[in-house]
Amino acid sequence: MIRLTINGKHYDSEVDPNMPLLWALRDLLGLTGTKFGCGIAQCGACTVLLEGSAVRSCSIPVQSCIDKDIQTIEGVEKSSYRFLQEAWIEEQVPQCGYCQSGQIMSAIGLLKNNPSPTDEEILNAMSGNICRCGTYPRILKAIRSAVEKVPKNDSV
Amino acid sequence: MKTISSRRDFLKRTGLAGGGLVIGLNFLESCVKEVVNIPVTASPMITLENGFEAKGALDLTDFLQIKPDGNVFVSLTKYEMGQGVSTGLSSILAEELEADWEKINIRYIKSSVSESDITGGSTSTLLHWDLLRKAGAFAKYLLIEAAAKEWSVYKDECYAENNHVYLRGSDVQLEYGQLVEKVIVPDDYRSLFEQVPLKYRSKFKLIGKSLKSKIIPDMVTGRHPFSIDVQLPGMKYAAVLRCPVFKGKLLRFDASEALKISGVEKVVQIEGVLLDEATHIRDGVAVIANSTWAAFQGKQAVTAEWDLGENAKIEHEKFVADCHEQLANAKGTEILRIGKKIAEDELDNIISYTYEFPYQHHACMEPLNATSHFRGDSCEMWVGTQSADKIIANIEKHLGMPRENIRINCHPSGGGFGLRYSSEYAVESLLVSKAAGGDLVKMCYTREDDIKFDYLNPFELNKHTIGIKEGKPISWDFKNVMANWGGLLGWMYYDIPNCSGTQVKAEAFTQTGAWRSVMANAEGFSTECFIDEVASELNRDPLEFRLSLLPRNKMVDFKHSYQCNINRLRGALELVAQKAQWGKPMPENTGQGIAVYPYMHGNGYGAVVAEVSTANDEIKVTKITTAIDCGLVINPDQVRQQMEGGVIWALSAIFYGGTEYVNGVVQRSNFHDNPVFRIHEIPEIEVHICENDETQPWGVGEIAGPPTYAAVCNAIFATTGKRIRKLPITKKLSELA
Repeated sequence: MIRLTINGKHYDSEVDPNMPLLWALRDLLGLTGTKFGCGIAQCGACTVLLEGSAVRSCSIPVQSCIDKDIQTIEGVEKSSYRFLQEAWIEEQVPQCGYCQSGQIMSAIGLLKNNPSPTDEEILNAMSGNICRCGTYPRILKAIRSAVEKVPKNDSV
Repeated sequence: MKTISSRRDFLKRTGLAGGGLVIGLNFLESCVKEVVNIPVTASPMITLENGFEAKGALDLTDFLQIKPDGNVFVSLTKYEMGQGVSTGLSSILAEELEADWEKINIRYIKSSVSESDITGGSTSTLLHWDLLRKAGAFAKYLLIEAAAKEWSVYKDECYAENNHVYLRGSDVQLEYGQLVEKVIVPDDYRSLFEQVPLKYRSKFKLIGKSLKSKIIPDMVTGRHPFSIDVQLPGMKYAAVLRCPVFKGKLLRFDASEALKISGVEKVVQIEGVLLDEATHIRDGVAVIANSTWAAFQGKQAVTAEWDLGENAKIEHEKFVADCHEQLANAKGTEILRIGKKIAEDELDNIISYTYEFPYQHHACMEPLNATSHFRGDSCEMWVGTQSADKIIANIEKHLGMPRENIRINCHPSGGGFGLRYSSEYAVESLLVSKAAGGDLVKMCYTREDDIKFDYLNPFELNKHTIGIKEGKPISWDFKNVMANWGGLLGWMYYDIPNCSGTQVKAEAFTQTGAWRSVMANAEGFSTECFIDEVASELNRDPLEFRLSLLPRNKMVDFKHSYQCNINRLRGALELVAQKAQWGKPMPENTGQGIAVYPYMHGNGYGAVVAEVSTANDEIKVTKITTAIDCGLVINPDQVRQQMEGGVIWALSAIFYGGTEYVNGVVQRSNFHDNPVFRIHEIPEIEVHICENDETQPWGVGEIAGPPTYAAVCNAIFATTGKRIRKLPITKKLSELA
């Protein structure tokens, strides 16, 4: 029995400890917002936050996630990062939408470590996430606009 | 007179939740039901290559439902795959219905009994524009009549607005939800549907506005219902080890190691099926497990022996050489003839070049998948598709299952781009369910499967030859060699008095299919690079030369669905030139290129100016300016989305496209060796939409690609003096052939 803590909730599951977190989330726990794209950490569709850092869940076995804080797209709506989803809606970013869970989780990972990134830092942080519909110009715009709207902690 | 009670009977039988006014749609007049049947002819123009003619038949008993709480549910008559039909199509209906946009909800269709529609060719909006308007106006008419009866007034005294019917000059009003139970459908509803008055364009409130997407809120929370996310009670997971060579056969396999893997339950043989010349379910071995991961592991552990067959002897280089040989010597089939054949000695000069457009992978972000339940003489499937029609037809043909017993739950797709127009992955999942003894299985491709068993854009050679006399082109011949899919379009929009076109069908060794913009990719690329070369050899400005061959007020008949409107084509070209400041002084190591192309499947016209820099030995596209004439614009922001996406799609193909075969096996496997553009590589992109007098919308989704290839290659020429006649190209200037 393995216990995972996802979006602040405990999940106990009989799972092969070598199973990548992605498949445990999707097939065993029913959290299908995290997407399968490549299986080799090349496309970013499966991005989640592990202890606050953006990681590719397709390439991390569940045993490495025990006792760690896992955040998935399902938890963002009720988090302090809801403003990113709103920016995504405002800029009408998604087309097919498949990569967008991963895009948003990568963006959160970026902003957690760097609340006011430059364009170059945004492009750098987001270059691991592939979008085949070509929503990149709008992803950049959405992150820019979200960053502008967020009250900066250091200015308080 | 049809009354509410008969409708209620219907509702009871179908179990449609919520009640209210329900309008069904049936494109087949012969199939009359108790619901309101609205005969509409909306034939998709693409002929299915496997012998099943798409009749445009769509049987939707719950096409439009207005519930007593005033919420409006619209079933999508086209498949959503990111191109935005959910929002675009429903806004057309909502416009005529005078619905409150906030109360519009989307339903994905369950396709059964009758054929459903196909989605492709940038035709969704243009084909269903009239139907959706009539349906909205028809429902509004019924609601107004119900209100008039309720108030005992003439219906001319009533009007509809914002989900309400109002009595003129009073405060009296009823919300749609309050009226739905009072609607009476007249006997002559069919003629009413055909003759129902539609709104004037000047009265549009929703059409032409950048309404926000109905489905994006679900996409940003991970709730958008892709088929890969389907979870059903008792569902198993499956992965298939397929024959690596097209048309090879499975000889034997050993599942003993696979069965030792925790979670693997069954390993079964899949016998390949030739669905049609180009579409093939390969021989394979399916692993059934209790998770996708276990199924993937099990698949890796299966050992199989194959008879790879003739196609394993094919070398890609030899195939290309053969195509060139056929281009030079094969007679081919004439597909275009304008004017007469001009003898060479009548010409001052002949300019001729050949252009190569490679195989291209789709690499949709959602790997192919389908969930199937084989139940003997019936089945159910959950799938993201562009053609449930083809799936149903192929199940009926190859599994002998009557179409009445086939139920397809259509999900939105994580990208289609033509790949999901093929049906083999869907039918394959049903074969897996059957082979597993009727288990309900979700079959998912690995990314490696998705790349290796992709239905590729076909390899094409296009040779263009122009004859010049007294400085003017007077003849144009083009000859094409292509394998498997589609055919030469031969859209000759330039005003050349004598034109000819020939197609040579090459013997194919692999599977090909529809790929965003289809044949217009290779023909747009080659035609627009070639005309640029001719302009340059005649010392003419590329824009001015093109415009001189595009006479105003001309309609050109391509013997296609629509006539090419040269004014609209010119309009796009002139707008892009103006917006991009064509001809402006460019700094050292930079240049501009221009191109224009009609996309006649959707009767949309696109033009592109590319700016390229070659500083530091790197070919970099720095800016793309686009213009599109897509007729009446439903949603400007969605047009911009599609153009931005189409440009980036084309850039990936220019720099990273192609594929490599060794012994008939695709060598690419995943995003590391089949790269696509990433966010840090994209140029600035501008989209400009042409103003026009068209009274209906035309296609959008496939307009950007063809002119983008050519504009970028022409910009590279303007910068470096090097002509690109073969894609893909390297990003390193010094390595450019």
